Amino acid sequence: MMLHLLNRSPQFDGIYWDLSEAFGAEDHLLLIEDACYAALPAAAASLAAFGGRVSVLSEDAASRGLLDRLSDGVTVVDMAGFVALTATFPRSLSWF
Amino acid sequence: MIDRPYDVLSYALLVHAAPYSEQGALSALRFAQAAVAQGHRVSSVFFYRDGVHNASMLMAPPQDEVHLAEGWRSLAQEHGTELLVCVAAGLRRGLMSAEESARHGREAHNVEPPFVLTGLGQLVDAMLGNDRVITFAP
Amino acid sequence: MTDDETAPAADTQPISLDLLVILRHPPHGSSWLREGVDVALVAAAFGQAVGLLFQGDGVFALVEGQGAGPLGQKGTHAQLAMLEMYDIERLWVSASALRARGLTLADLALPALALEADEIDHLVHAQPRTLLF
Repeated sequence: MMLHLLNRSPQFDGIYWDLSEAFGAEDHLLLIEDACYAALPAAAASLAAFGGRVSVLSEDAASRGLLDRLSDGVTVVDMAGFVALTATFPRSLSWF
Repeated sequence: MIDRPYDVLSYALLVHAAPYSEQGALSALRFAQAAVAQGHRVSSVFFYRDGVHNASMLMAPPQDEVHLAEGWRSLAQEHGTELLVCVAAGLRRGLMSAEESARHGREAHNVEPPFVLTGLGQLVDAMLGNDRVITFAP
Repeated sequence: MTDDETAPAADTQPISLDLLVILRHPPHGSSWLREGVDVALVAAAFGQAVGLLFQGDGVFALVEGQGAGPLGQKGTHAQLAMLEMYDIERLWVSASALRARGLTLADLALPALALEADEIDHLVHAQPRTLLF
């Protein structure tokens, strides 16, 4: 069970592929910083490999004007929720 | 998942992101503040690669921006977090303590406690000695 | 003929190390690879069992025939030559990364094992600690 942190926009598709190779059946993906753009419906293909187990950091999505535009399948967590995810998942791996 | 109670954990953060150039340094500080607010312990922050610039005591951002070095210092003073700066990455990039400055025959230094220049072995120790290691990168 | 510990079948089982370092960046253009390998070497020097997984452009780190750059950039070929000295002998590469770049294991300067996506998943999840550079 791992939490994957990703901060790159979906225009860097190589990293989404590399992440998908390491992504396990019980893993979760948290989109932060520029990875928030992957939570737009138009970028849904970039998240297809992650089986709906994807969250986005609310403050980073809000600052980018994305909060009202997010895909339905992506859950929103605040910074306290980010910390809680790292506590819930025994290991975290950052992709950048 | 997010509302469930959990144990108090010890964290080490690894920061590769340069201050102000990338959001990663701000994200790391925000995360550290949120972690201690939830009662967790942030034992150490290890600054590596361009992250070493977070340690410059000469950092002088405009007054309407977050002062990152000040934020890290507050974390150290209020929560006992160790601020560890990779000495090899730091020296390459011009980050020097008074001691290193004297060793290299320089007249100035820009790293002072609570920031401490140290070796990568401290990163290995931080990985082994904490419940969680979270990386923040550019 | 008897199976020995270097038989490929043994290597394909998930193995638990103390630290797995994932390297995704190519040499020379940035210091990600170099400073990532530095962490692996120091961890190994501190007695940790360390393995390396090369993904994406990181597989170019292993390509044979590399040298120093024109301004004396050291590159990583010399550093990689030190891996064995530090007992870092578990090297894995993403099979899809090799294919996408027109490379095979024969193009690599060090012996490595190519892993498909499900094997990378298993490898990463078998490790107590993983860092990515």
